[in-house]
Order: sequence, then C-alpha cells, then structure tokens
Amino acid sequence: MYFYFSIIQEEENGLIKKRILLSLVAVMLILSGCAGFQVGGDKAKTVEAEAEGKVVVDFWSFWGSEIRRPVIDKIIEDFNKSQDDIVVKHTFIPWGDIWTKELAAIAAGDPPDVVINDINATALRGEKKQAMNLSEFLEKDDISERFYPELWDATLYEGDSYGIPFNTDTRILYYNKAAFKEVGLDPEKPPTTWTELEKYAAKLDKKNGNTYDRLGFYPLFGINYDVWMLNASGKNFVDVEGNVEVDTDVNQETLNWLLKWKERYGDNVVNSYKSQIDSQQSNPFFTGKLGMFINTPTFYTQIRDYAPELDFGVAMLPEREPGNGHTSWGGGFVAEIPEGSSHPEEAWEFIKYLTDKEAQEYWAVKNYDNVANVEAAEAAAKSSEMSEKDQVVYQMAVDNMEHTLLTPTPLDAPDFPTLINPEIDNVMLGNKTPEQALKDAQAAVEQLVEENK
Amino acid sequence: MRESYFNSMANRKKVLKIVNFLLLCVGSLLFLSPLWWMISTSLKTMQEVMSFPPTFFPKDWKWENFAKTWEAAPFDLYTVNTLTITVLVVIGQVFVNSFVAYGFAKIPFRGRNVLFTIVLSTMMIPGFVTLIPQYVLFSKLGWINTYFPLVVPAFFGSAFNIFLLRQFYMTIPNEMIEAARMEGASHFLIWRKIGIPLTKPALATVAIFSFNGAWNDFLGPLLYVNNENIYTLQLGLQVFKGEMNTQWNYLMAGSLLVLLPVIILFFFFQKYFIEGINLQSGGKS
Amino acid sequence: MKKKKFNYKRQEGLVGYIFILPWIFGFLVFTAGPLLFSLVASFTNYNITSQMDFIGTNNYEKLLFNDQLFWTSLYNTLYYVAFSVPLTTIGAIFLSVLLNQDVPGLRFFRTIYYLPAVLSGVGVYLLWMQLLDPGTGFINMFLGWFGIDGPNWLFDPEWTKPSLILMKLWSVGGGMLLYLASLQGVPKSLYEAAEIDGASKWQQFCYITLPMITPVIFFDVVTSLIGGFQIFQEAYVMTNGGGGPVNSLLFYNYYMWNKAFKVFDMGYAMAMSWILFIIIFILTMINLKLAPRWVHYEGESKR
Repeated sequence: MYFYFSIIQEEENGLIKKRILLSLVAVMLILSGCAGFQVGGDKAKTVEAEAEGKVVVDFWSFWGSEIRRPVIDKIIEDFNKSQDDIVVKHTFIPWGDIWTKELAAIAAGDPPDVVINDINATALRGEKKQAMNLSEFLEKDDISERFYPELWDATLYEGDSYGIPFNTDTRILYYNKAAFKEVGLDPEKPPTTWTELEKYAAKLDKKNGNTYDRLGFYPLFGINYDVWMLNASGKNFVDVEGNVEVDTDVNQETLNWLLKWKERYGDNVVNSYKSQIDSQQSNPFFTGKLGMFINTPTFYTQIRDYAPELDFGVAMLPEREPGNGHTSWGGGFVAEIPEGSSHPEEAWEFIKYLTDKEAQEYWAVKNYDNVANVEAAEAAAKSSEMSEKDQVVYQMAVDNMEHTLLTPTPLDAPDFPTLINPEIDNVMLGNKTPEQALKDAQAAVEQLVEENK
Repeated sequence: MRESYFNSMANRKKVLKIVNFLLLCVGSLLFLSPLWWMISTSLKTMQEVMSFPPTFFPKDWKWENFAKTWEAAPFDLYTVNTLTITVLVVIGQVFVNSFVAYGFAKIPFRGRNVLFTIVLSTMMIPGFVTLIPQYVLFSKLGWINTYFPLVVPAFFGSAFNIFLLRQFYMTIPNEMIEAARMEGASHFLIWRKIGIPLTKPALATVAIFSFNGAWNDFLGPLLYVNNENIYTLQLGLQVFKGEMNTQWNYLMAGSLLVLLPVIILFFFFQKYFIEGINLQSGGKS
Repeated sequence: MKKKKFNYKRQEGLVGYIFILPWIFGFLVFTAGPLLFSLVASFTNYNITSQMDFIGTNNYEKLLFNDQLFWTSLYNTLYYVAFSVPLTTIGAIFLSVLLNQDVPGLRFFRTIYYLPAVLSGVGVYLLWMQLLDPGTGFINMFLGWFGIDGPNWLFDPEWTKPSLILMKLWSVGGGMLLYLASLQGVPKSLYEAAEIDGASKWQQFCYITLPMITPVIFFDVVTSLIGGFQIFQEAYVMTNGGGGPVNSLLFYNYYMWNKAFKVFDMGYAMAMSWILFIIIFILTMINLKLAPRWVHYEGESKR
C-alpha cells in the first residue's frame, strides 16, 4: 500500500543537505550585498562620512510630491551651504503615518531631530513630552514676532512654545463669476452675509426635474458645521480652561440655518454632490455645476490646473449678520524637535532658517502655499513670479488671516468631536431637534472634561 | 421530446456548463469594473480625472503617464528592494509554517492543545497596541533601518499560516503516517515526502498570501525603514499622495504596475489548483 | 512491550517540540514581550512618552461603565462581524465551486475573481465611495434597472455598515483561493460513484463537497471572525477620519486607534485591546468546542 517509502529512504540525507546548504550560501551572498541588511548602515556611517565631522540633523517631512519635494530640498541645500558644522538630511515619510512613526521612534529613544507636525495638537504633544520645550532657545533668539499671533498662540502649552509655525491655511469663498453674470448678479459683489448667501444661491440654482443642473451653494460641502459655528460665535467649543460652550443660542441658530439648507435641496441632491466632493476627484465647482464653494486658498491651484477656463472670484466667508465678523477657520503645521533628539541645538538652527523670511517666501511662491511668517506671506502676494490671478487669491488669503481662528486641541477633551458629531448628524437626519442635540452634546463634552481634569 | 432532452445526463451537464459559464461572465464584469476604473484613471489627464461628472473612457489616452509615474521616484530600486524582502518572506513562510503545522497536526505531544490555543491567541490582539513595544524591541536589537524586522519574523512562523496548513495536514489519514513510521521513516522524512507533496495546493495558497502580504506591506517598511534608498514600492507610491491633493492618474498607474507581478504570479501558481493532489487515490495505489 | 511504547511516545513528543520550535522561539522573542507589556500597561495611565503609573482597574472600569462610545464601537463591530463572516464564507464557497468546474477560460476567470482581494488601499475605498454615490453611483443605477430605489448607502446610518459588508463581499477572492486549494483534495472517485448512484449536483455538493472542505470552512470562519473584529482602515478612509453618520462606522479598532495615537491614552487603548481579546477568545473557544460536531477530518476517520 505505501510502497513508496522504501524509495524515499534511498535518496535521503546527502542530497537534501547539500541543496539546503547551497541555497543558504546563496541567500547569505545576496543579503550581504543588500543595503537593507546592513545594521546601522545608513545613519551612522554613510551620511556622517559625507558630513566630514559635521553634525547631521535628521529631518522628517511628508513633502514627497513632485511639487513639494524640490522646493524643500532646495531650502535644505541652501541651508547646508550656509553652515560649517551642520548638515540637514531630509527623509520623506508618507503623510499621516509619519506621526505614528515619530511616536514609535520617540518611545524607542532614537527620534529624528526635526519633524513637521500638526499645529493644532502642539500643546497636547508638549504636555505629553513628545515635543521639546523650546523656551530655552527662544530666550536667546525670540522669533515669535515673525508669525501670525493666532498661530504662535496655538504652539503654547503653559506659556512655553513646543513647535515653530511653518505653514497655515484658512477658508475662503470661491464663486463662479460667469454664473453670477448669467443670472444677473454683480460678479464683483460676492455675498457678505448669510442672508445674501441664501439669496444668491437661490438665484444661481438651476433646477432640472428632480435634479439640479447647477446648485447655488450648500454650506456643508468643503467645510463642516463646526466652521459655521465658529463663524457665527467666534469661539471654539472648548476653551483653554476647559469651559464647554456647545449648547448656546448662536450655535442653535446656526444649526437651524444649516438644517434649512438641507431641507431646501433635499437628501438626494445633497448626498450625491457630497459623495463626489468627498471622493476627492471630480469636483462640481470646476464644471460650473456648483455656484459657490468654500475651501482653502490652495484649492485655487486645483482650479488653475484642472479647470483653467473657469471664471471665478474669491471672498471672505459671509458673516451671520452685519458686524458679526467674517470669522474663518484655519490650521497648519509646525516644525518641532522631538523629545530625545540628539542634536537639539543644531535642529534649532535649522528651524530658525526654515521659518525665516527667505525660506518662507521661497516656499510660499514655489508651492503656492500659505506660510506662517507674516513678512514672507505679504511679500509672496506681490511676488513677480506669480500671475495676476495667483496674486489676487494669495492676497485674499493673507488678508483673511486676521479673521482666521485656529482650534487647538483642548487638553482636557482632546477627542471631543467624536461626541458632538453624532448629535449634529442626528439633527441633519431629522432624528433630533437642534435644542435637544446641543443639550446632549454639551452634557457629553462636559463629562469628558470632568473625567480628564 | 423536450423532457427527454433534459433528462439525458449528457445534455443536462452541457446546459449546466453553459449556465455556469454565463454566470461567470456576468460576475466578472462586476468584479472587473473597479479595475477598469483604475486603468481608465491611469490614462487620463488630471484635468479629466477631476471633471464632473466622471468620464468612463479617457478622452485622450495618455500612455505616457506610465513612464512619468516610473520616473517620479527611483522605482527600479524600490522594485529590487521589495522583491528581496518578498522572496525571503515567502521562503520563510512556506517552509517554516509547513514544518510547524506538521508538528501541530501529526505529532502528539504534551501540551499541544494549549500551545495551539496560544498560536490562535496571538492573532486576536490588534497589531497597533503592540506596535510601540515591538518597535522598541527591534530598536534594542539594532534592527531599525534594516530589513530584519520585516524578514526575520517570517522565519519563525505566523499564526494564520500555521493554522491554515494544520487544517490541511489534518485531512491526511493518520494511518498513512503510522504506516510510514512503521517502516522506519522519521517525521522529518514524512513531512518532506508525504506532507509537502500532499499539501501543495495549500502551500501555493500560503505562498500567494505571503507574497501579497509582503509585496503590499505598508506599515512594516514605513515603521522600520528610514533610508529612502531602501524604501519599498508601497512607500514609493505615497509620493503621489499629498496632504491636500492626490495625483490620481499617477497613483493608479503606479498601483497597476505594482499589481502586475501579483497577477502574473497568481496566473502561474494556478497549476497547483488544477492538477489537484488526490489523497485517496494516492493511498490506494 | 509497555516500556518500549512509553519510550516511543516520549521520543515522539520530543520530535513534536522540535517541529514547533521555530514558532516557540519566534513567540518568545518577538511576540510574548510586547503582548505582556501591553497587558501590564493596560493597568496604567501609559501615554507612550511621559507617564506610566499603576492605576489598578481604572481603565477597565471606565470602559465598561462610563464610556458610551466604547459600547457604540463594540455594537458596530459585532454587527459587522455577524453579517460579514457568514456572507463572505458562503460567497467564497459558492465562487470556488463555480470555479472548480471545467469551464473555458478557467484561469482567466479565477484571476479576475481573485483580483479584488489584492486591490486594496485608499484608491479602492474612494472608488467605492463613487460606486455607492446614491445619485449617480453605479450600484443604485444597477438597482434602478430592476425598479429598486437604492438606499442612501454611506449617508444613512442604517446603511453604512451594509455598504462596508457589500464592499467586503466583493473581495472574497482570498477565501475563494482557500476553498479552491481544499477542493483539490476531494477525490474525483467520490463524485464518479455518486453520479452512478444518480445523485444530483446539489446532492453531491451537500454530501461530498461540503463535508470534505469543512476543515477549511472552520479555518475560514475562525480567522474571518478574528479579522472581522479588526476592521479599521476601510472605515477610516471612507468617513474622512470621522466615525461616519451618527458614529455608525465607529468601529472598535478605530476608536482604539484614536485613543492610542490621537489622544495618546495608550493604557486605555491597551485595556480595550484586552477586552477585545477576551471576546474573540471566547468566541473562538466556542468554535473550537463545536468543531468536532461538524468538522470532518479525513485523518481522524476511524474506519
């Protein structure tokens, strides 16, 4: 029955062993030639040899695209040339995951020296001792005056800064000028109040049976309810002291206003447009199917590149009522020194250079990005390297900074949005009244603050 | 007349075959639609990708997108890097897991059930709570910025594959093993001469799974590699994704190119799912 | 005689340990330490970088008695597992049986059906967002041809999880591969005999195919159950990093990830992971205990 075992035994031993040995040798040969298997091959040897006794500053960013990469590499090159003792080595780490990696490296005690990170969570990272306290360096050279105060304040934890602002953004209104003309609106007069916004949107609407050939405006494309509440109240939901202001009259009014839009267009229309916008691909504003749209100033580069024919204008966010203020929302990134960096002094030198006017202006112009350095931003708006339209939008962004608020992560309730979001969803789905939802959200966030205090 | 047509065995089989074929055709259209979307995106200009409503066929077939994609980062180098890791992982996964699984399935020893339960348990803890301590461990070993953390564990068994192969070994009749033992064959010999041949389809499955796993691994290289010279394809593809906008056409072209070896490998390995290894007839001969 | 048998067994046991030695070594060196660490840290306020003080069972108490989102995420995950595991299992078996017949272009078909299992990542999830677009998306268009008014999918909290399950069903290729491998072990002679006895295709499937592939079904169910509880990335991408409408896509691992890497409450996340471990462990043990009733191992048959 099992006749083959006798055959097996004959060719045992010798052959197999030889084969295994041979393949092992082959594998070893391959591995020894591959950089991926040389322990400490990169950091310790190659670079330092290149640097000839210079200090190597390990710099991590997520700027790897064909637009960003050459710009940051040029800035680093210039910096390296200007230095006798410091060499910056830039590594691209993919967006989003870069911070997981940074955290692991900090935990292992071997972090890089400079990392680009989210500005809104800077204080949180300071509190957790992930980022280094920079006050010692700032005492020597105080560079805080370089930046928009709103940005600078976001980097502070207990009065000390834990990251230096690099770039920023804000939210502005884009409107289709051609469509304005078509329906008899003045293309040089964008809406300035919520009421005007509604009126203009109604004029721009072009209905076709159950669907729309053109939607005038919908407030929750491109931004969320929280920006509208910020726009209306000029305040974050949770302030630095941990005071919760979710259930307020202004927020209630805002929510009712948002609900009105939803009821006007109906679920089907809104959801269909929203899934297109959320998929980050086809955008109805490009093709004139959406009359007005709120987004960051850098959204302009997409229009410029993907819809060059579009005739559009930019404006501040409308205000709730005249005199209430055109408050907008922004964010950005800081350059920070992770706790445990082996060359903080040299890292600081690099950060200073990175956030100084020259590098910032270069970055702003070449990337078309909003920078944190005020002087650089204002100079960029007038840069001869920019086209006229480039300048118009950039100037708008610069002007908008004075209306722009950041929403730093509150230390006592860092994940509070997870508690408010479902309540607002319930309102928009018609499951809850705005009064009830805001009351519940207020209670939930208060509880969270209480627990974390 | 009609009744008899259907009653005839041969005809019924033929009808069944046609129905089967048609079913598969319709289904493959559904399954292929995303691939088509990838292909069509990869051939469009960014301007067309962003147009609304989306177009089904590219207006202007931009074949040069593929060349541009390949030039956007040192993808030749990344291919070699990824291949090195992948080949080693596959070798480790196939042989070591087959070996270990044989032990769990066919050799009785004290504590086998408890140990096997531990094997299963290691799959139940989400990876990212052990991510930090594991990183610290590899850092202490001096393995950061090398391929060791990506390759070495593959040579010490993975729970998923051990379990999978064990299930296949369990279907080999014990009598077969016992008879071989009676004739004086060692377990090592039995594993090599009966175990491996009889579980070929399963080993092919493990090979395909571990190839895909290593080839498409993102988090592993991301965490453990700091030097762009030893980056992998999946890390390279990330250059098309920015914090604000993504170059979809290049990203899709790159993804397709990276997908190609996976498809080829699968096509090639299919012979192990067609020939079939027949336990029963093997035993009877 | 008795003594000899004893020796034989002992030696056999030793060989067994040698066989599993690679795994034991790997487990002790690479896995056990981090696991133990996460267990210990789950009783602390560990935040990765600056603190790790013992706080008893505080994390566990807070999770179980004072964290509504914990229960939301657990419910969402259980819902997903309860539907996705049986559906993908059945789908994979069905597909593998279809693809194990003698059909023209078999290799092509197999490749096509396997493809989605390898296609993953952000691009695919965003594609599904387009397919599931309630207005112009392909799926509702398709349903429309049959006069069905498709749901709002990712916008309706009732339909968000079914959307994800649908997406998962599309990538059953991996499971299909497992069953294909398993089907190769089913002896053709059994079918031939059954055909002579006049058994229909369906009967052949129920009485020959199904029992013969139960070891792999068992494997598939256990591992998809474990895998299903880990669902994370799909939801993360498709909700733009939120929890979906009314937190309906706030899955367990997603919530845990937020706690660990957004809020840096790693101790809390580790406690969550151990609660999840207990849940999965119990479910797997039930599976293991029930297995002898339906899993048919050829190797154990005592004829």
